[in-house]
Amino acid sequence: MKFILTNNPLVKTKLGNSIKIEFCDVSLHQILLLTRDYIHKGYKLLSHPLSGSIKPNETLYKSIMLDANIEKLDMQSLSIIENSIMLAKNFADRDIKIMQQHKDDMMTVDLSIISGRL
Amino acid sequence: MNLELGYIKIKDIKFADKAEVKNGVLSVSKKDLEKIILEDENFTAVDFDIAKPGESVRITPVKDVIEPRCKVSGGGDIFPGVVSKVHTVGTGRTHVLSGMAVVTTGAIVGFQEGIIDMSGVGADYTPFSKTLNLCINFTPKKGLHTHTYEESLRKAGLKVAYHLGKLGKDVKPDEIKSYEYLPMMQSAKKYPNLPRVGYVQMLQSQGLLHDTYVYGVDMKQSLTTMISPLEIFDGAILSGNCVSACDKNTTYHHQNNPVIEDLFEQHGKTINFCAMIITNENVFLADKIRSSDWTAKIVSHLDLDGVIISQEGFGNPDTDLIMNCKKVEGVGVKTVIITDEYAGREGTSQSLADADPAADAVVTGGNANQVITLPKLDKVIGTLDYTDKIAGGFKGSLNKKDGTITVEIQAITGATNELGFNKLSAR
Repeated sequence: MKFILTNNPLVKTKLGNSIKIEFCDVSLHQILLLTRDYIHKGYKLLSHPLSGSIKPNETLYKSIMLDANIEKLDMQSLSIIENSIMLAKNFADRDIKIMQQHKDDMMTVDLSIISGRL
Repeated sequence: MNLELGYIKIKDIKFADKAEVKNGVLSVSKKDLEKIILEDENFTAVDFDIAKPGESVRITPVKDVIEPRCKVSGGGDIFPGVVSKVHTVGTGRTHVLSGMAVVTTGAIVGFQEGIIDMSGVGADYTPFSKTLNLCINFTPKKGLHTHTYEESLRKAGLKVAYHLGKLGKDVKPDEIKSYEYLPMMQSAKKYPNLPRVGYVQMLQSQGLLHDTYVYGVDMKQSLTTMISPLEIFDGAILSGNCVSACDKNTTYHHQNNPVIEDLFEQHGKTINFCAMIITNENVFLADKIRSSDWTAKIVSHLDLDGVIISQEGFGNPDTDLIMNCKKVEGVGVKTVIITDEYAGREGTSQSLADADPAADAVVTGGNANQVITLPKLDKVIGTLDYTDKIAGGFKGSLNKKDGTITVEIQAITGATNELGFNKLSAR
């Protein structure tokens, strides 16, 4: 069954009635690692982990859609998530305080991207 | 399909009561432009400023850059489907106010980006330090929703460029370039001994602040399709992409796409440039598979010998790029891909989120993680409030003692452009 793995509270609120949401209050980087865990458990990616051009060190929020693929390990998903984790490491920690208004904007953009084709 | 582009070289811009183009000087009526912009009740006020090459001026945060153009003859009008009615463009005569641009600035969201320095070391990294820039800064009404603000700002910039372009309609151009784009079979017949080359342009299409419009259609909702490159010269493709300053294609980039210009330059000499395909960069893998399948099907059906594929953006579109490349190579057609890199500040890490042995001819627009220190400049158009939060910025980016800004070059508009509209690359 399809579901969205997310740390974005707005996605949970806005899309919770139309698709299963796996909400985890963790960092963006941890969402990528959790996605890899799911893929190793037989799930496959439905959306790209590096969606959006806002870099992994610039936004706090990430939503990724996954689906069960119990037959075998989905190698394409594994390749994409491993490459995404590796590329995300190229962005140094910015060490800046983020205002709530900016957090709200980040949530809005992430919601727009993940809900674009729902 | 034939199109003439008449370039009117703008040597200076000034504010005046009467709007006109005379002796290479563009006179701009603030009153006229204010009226056009404030027709949209989502804005409560608007400011204009002029930035000239060599001045100690920094423009930030930049949303879009647009070149004023107007149709003199031929069907349709500039920016079809958005500013003018939907009608096929790309024929007849178009006049261009060359050497200038309309630059829109504004804080749509809290994390902002896009720096244009008109002088200093930063100016070398952006093509828009060489243009005379009419800058517009918008004040939205309170509580305006982000999506609505983005749409209003995007359209306002286009309306201003459309209005200014009209001022050049009856002006004699300084230079005229003529382009001929023949139907596929005719082109093959005319150049039987030249390799048939196509261009696949990938367009940003992910969501809010990440979209591109073709004749007004959100490219997310389109299958891969064909277009004449001459339509693009008339503003058929418009940027709604406000994120990733260094490698986003502004509307100006589309209007002056150097891949198209260079392919035309070689057309009839070393190649037969006979096809242009546009495709999207959606977030969902099913869309990526479908769109890249379609790209390869069209390329195969057209019996091309080679294609150039240009990307737009970072991360997610790397996968589209490689899918397009791999599948086009898979139908026996050679590819050259154009991208940029995020290889870490030292430039030593993996630079793309995807790769394949089929991608054996790659052009890079540079490493967006490269760090640069920009000098303090005397005047800021827009605001520096977002410098720490800007893409490529970090804590302490703005040195409050000496006014310098240390950022990755991804903060600079057009620095690593993936159409090659920049100076950076590698051999």
